[in-house]
Amino acid sequence: MNITAIEIKNLSFNYGKLKVIDDVSLEIAKGISFGLLGSNGAGKTTLIRLMVGLLKPKTGSVFCLGKPPSPATARNIGYMPQLPSLYSELTVYQNIDFFARIYGLRAHNTRNQRVDEVIKLVDLWPKKNVSVSQLSGGMKQRVSLACAIVHNPPLLFLDEPTVGLDPELRVHFWEYFGNLTAAGHTLIVSSHTMDDAAHCQKLIFMREGKVIALGTPDELRGAVGKPNTTLEDAFLYFIRHGEVKSHVQ
Amino acid sequence: MFSNIITIARRSIQQLVRDRRTIALIIVVPLVIASLIGVSLPNKAVLNQTLPALLAVLILFFGFLLSGISFLRERSQGTRERLMASPVSRGDIIFGYLLGFLLFAILQTLVLFFYTVYIIKIDFMGDLWQIIIFQILIGILAVCLGIFLSAFARNEFQMVQFIPLIIIPQVFICGVLFPVNTQPEWLQWIAKFLPLTYGVDGIKAMMLEGKGLLDIGKEIAVLASYAVVLMALAGISLRRGHVA
Ligand SMILES: Nc1ncnc2c1ncn2[C@@H]1O[C@H](COP(=O)(O)OP(=O)(O)OP(=O)(O)O)[C@@H](O)[C@H]1O
Ligand SMILES: [Mg+2]
Repeated sequence: MNITAIEIKNLSFNYGKLKVIDDVSLEIAKGISFGLLGSNGAGKTTLIRLMVGLLKPKTGSVFCLGKPPSPATARNIGYMPQLPSLYSELTVYQNIDFFARIYGLRAHNTRNQRVDEVIKLVDLWPKKNVSVSQLSGGMKQRVSLACAIVHNPPLLFLDEPTVGLDPELRVHFWEYFGNLTAAGHTLIVSSHTMDDAAHCQKLIFMREGKVIALGTPDELRGAVGKPNTTLEDAFLYFIRHGEVKSHVQ
Repeated sequence: MFSNIITIARRSIQQLVRDRRTIALIIVVPLVIASLIGVSLPNKAVLNQTLPALLAVLILFFGFLLSGISFLRERSQGTRERLMASPVSRGDIIFGYLLGFLLFAILQTLVLFFYTVYIIKIDFMGDLWQIIIFQILIGILAVCLGIFLSAFARNEFQMVQFIPLIIIPQVFICGVLFPVNTQPEWLQWIAKFLPLTYGVDGIKAMMLEGKGLLDIGKEIAVLASYAVVLMALAGISLRRGHVA
């Protein structure tokens, strides 16, 4: 069995003249949660879109579960876009049920069971038959997560899943993500917050489309070389470090 | 494959059905317009002459609007991104929409047609069900046109601008109000390339001359080809790897 979930080689991407991903090479092992950290516009969403196959690399290559992303690999992938992408007229149940069908949960009984299960998981049981348009922002975010995990995919891309969640749910989500990786699932999570970063087994810091640091949270803290460094300090350190480097060039 | 089409069709129907006001408008608006046309025309003879072509226009217009806006919303609310990352193919998406909106197009066609025949009481020749089948073909074309054009519109504002651009010239050029052969030659030439010309010709041949589907093979073939080409082009706009 292949042990890498994602293999990226010399990947570059640009929107017109704007270089958004700049020569990124990266391997992500199976069974871990992997964090993509970076400021606004660093290229996290673009990198995820390239990994799921929504965008094609301009140069370089992406292998997702051993193959270039395609409809065939899509079945094993769950994708939660940054903005809750839901059918606002439909109910919570109808949205999740739709994606369950799309991802091949055909049998009526198992599908119903699974849809109910994920609704309870994101703590929206009382809202099961409410239109998505009538939910709060955080609730929509939870429905969006439910749609991404309903088919129990081995590889899960979550673009800022914890934005807009209250602290209690954030903890609850990370508990659930921990269960998933313990069961062998791979999670790729983008975020701004170092609180999320601390939950990842491995992570990268991104800046202007480049990977400026890669490691476990401990390694990244250690690299700064000062005692009691927080991840936040480490992030700022690497951001500045990167700036120094580009000035030198 | 086929089950994905059904799933997408089912969802697009659910979406409209849950929106009560839209459903009411889908049924009421064509009736209001048909009634207005009915009372505004000077006499029964003019009505009988004009209404068949106007039926074709109304079906084209409403089918286009409904499917175009719905398909566009798929992009603006971000669900298209989600669909494109899923195992469904672009064929699934297009045929799913086609199937879903076809049901609404058929519903509108039936409501409109029976209203004009039994309430406005126009006189027509030809076989009722054959006429309805031909109108449904126009409905299919309208749905394809809506899906295709929504690929070029970034938002609802732009989509609404396509209506005057696409529909109104066709109303004047394609023989709805005045026969095509009364126009300047270059306009007649343009009319040859516009789908509504064939819709109008076909429906007039049926309702005014009592012809059947078999007699208007050319019109049917042209409309069907248009639908196929528009669907194929819509498919190109949905390529994986080009979603942003
Ligand atoms: N569709 C697009 N067309 C043109 N430029 C784009 C498009 N999407 C993103 N960009 C640009 O690409 C760069 C990276 O954007 P991206 O969305 O990947 O950043 P991000 O790291 O996800 O940011 P955020 O934390 O705000 O979500 C930005 O400079 C952005 O302006
Ligand atoms: Mg982003």
